Amino acid sequence: MNAVIRRIARESRDFTALVIQAYVLLFRLRMRRAVVVRQAFELGNRSVVFIATTMSFIGLIMVLQSGYQAGRLIGDYSLLGPGYIQLLVREFAPTIGAMMLATRIGAGIAAELGSMTVTEQIDALRLCGAEPVEELVVPRLAACLVMVPALIILAGLFAEIAGMFAARLVFNVPFATFFELRLLTSGDVIVGAVKAMLFGAVIPLVSAFAGLSATRGSEGVGQATTRAVIHTSISIIFLDFAVNVLLYPVYAR
Amino acid sequence: MSGIRGIVAAVGRTALQFAADLGGLAILFLRVLRTIPRLDIYELIRAAERFGWQSAPIIGLTAFFTGGIMVMQSLPYVEQLQAMRLLPWAASFATLREVGPVLIGLMFSGRVGSNNTAELGTMVVTEQVDALRLLAIDPYDLLIAPRFVAMVAMMVCLTIVGDAGAVIGAMVTARAMAGMEMFQFIQLMREQIHLADLASGLVKSGFFGAGIAVVSCYYGLATSGGAVGVGRAVNASVVASAVSIVVIDFAVTAVMGG
Repeated sequence: MNAVIRRIARESRDFTALVIQAYVLLFRLRMRRAVVVRQAFELGNRSVVFIATTMSFIGLIMVLQSGYQAGRLIGDYSLLGPGYIQLLVREFAPTIGAMMLATRIGAGIAAELGSMTVTEQIDALRLCGAEPVEELVVPRLAACLVMVPALIILAGLFAEIAGMFAARLVFNVPFATFFELRLLTSGDVIVGAVKAMLFGAVIPLVSAFAGLSATRGSEGVGQATTRAVIHTSISIIFLDFAVNVLLYPVYAR
Repeated sequence: MSGIRGIVAAVGRTALQFAADLGGLAILFLRVLRTIPRLDIYELIRAAERFGWQSAPIIGLTAFFTGGIMVMQSLPYVEQLQAMRLLPWAASFATLREVGPVLIGLMFSGRVGSNNTAELGTMVVTEQVDALRLLAIDPYDLLIAPRFVAMVAMMVCLTIVGDAGAVIGAMVTARAMAGMEMFQFIQLMREQIHLADLASGLVKSGFFGAGIAVVSCYYGLATSGGAVGVGRAVNASVVASAVSIVVIDFAVTAVMGG
């Protein structure tokens, strides 16, 4: 028990140190622009097809499920589109999109940094007088801060379009209702944007930490990837809960 | 000219790889179904303990927060309609049927599926699987079939744990944010939620467990290229598991009609 507490304390200390160091370096703009742009391109390029596939299916499923209930309980599909857009903007696009990105981007970062750690490339960087956090973590953080919100917007769009087609084909709901923004308030948009940006700040740091603390051997990389996915997923759900509590007055009017 | 040729070649390579993966997954699934009667029972118990018992706290915690999130998301609608009585239904209906199984599936693939790929991948890379074959032990009997059965069973069990966590989270949040007594919440929920809703979620998660098991075993056995290869396999496995979850979810939803 004592050992567990001590390990958790040590890991939180190391993680906090990594977060502070990464943000200090980020705000001092200590990074090469070309590296950041390449990272951003790779993150986006790697995730676009994945996000498009998964979020389209999520959109189909959500509209099917809510459509069956709306038909059974109210018999009226006029609120299906506007309500779906509202829930998508303030909850499901950021959260489910970020959970998907946690498996794609998070696992990717952890696998990359983890393999560099076990093959002692990180130590080699230190030997050359380069700071691993500055060289490896900060560009990924900067790239994610831009790309994760962008990909979440894309995720919402794909879910919206897929949902629109599902509603048209299964329940014969006209396309036009999926362009009605009458339920959407600025509060919903603010909450969704805050969540998207927060997740963009968390995914790279949690998974980079998991990758950098990989232990030696071929099992180490796998374990680091697992930890990255799990820890990012938990952080996303927890932050989502926290944002919902703190910003409840904003979106509930 | 060469640019266009390069693009066509890349598209073709991707399509061939996709077809090969899909075929490999199907073959693995059929082989697993055939080997289930011969599976190693001790391996099954060990795998179930490792997959299920050790993930339960994380799943319960995540589900607790998910229940809370769903209450806060449905509260504005319920307040607008002046129908506080509907809060337990609004918060737990979608959680039990849809959101719970999907999120638990994603967590399960992240923890258990990727762990499984890493383990099998390490065994392949260090030639332990070949050693098993050399000893005339079928890796499917000893490694794959027990894990498949354990993952399906544990995914269902973990969804029960998750459902409990989500209901408790919803109750606590409803008490804190809407002032609804916990006893009243449970009573209303018993009137509004049917056993069929619960069963639908559990059936779904059983299918998710099967999908995650097949995907993670396939990528584990296909690992090549040392420690870096294991990392790559794990990465590919979690991504493919996430895709398989949403595809299976869609198929089950369409077939069961919600």
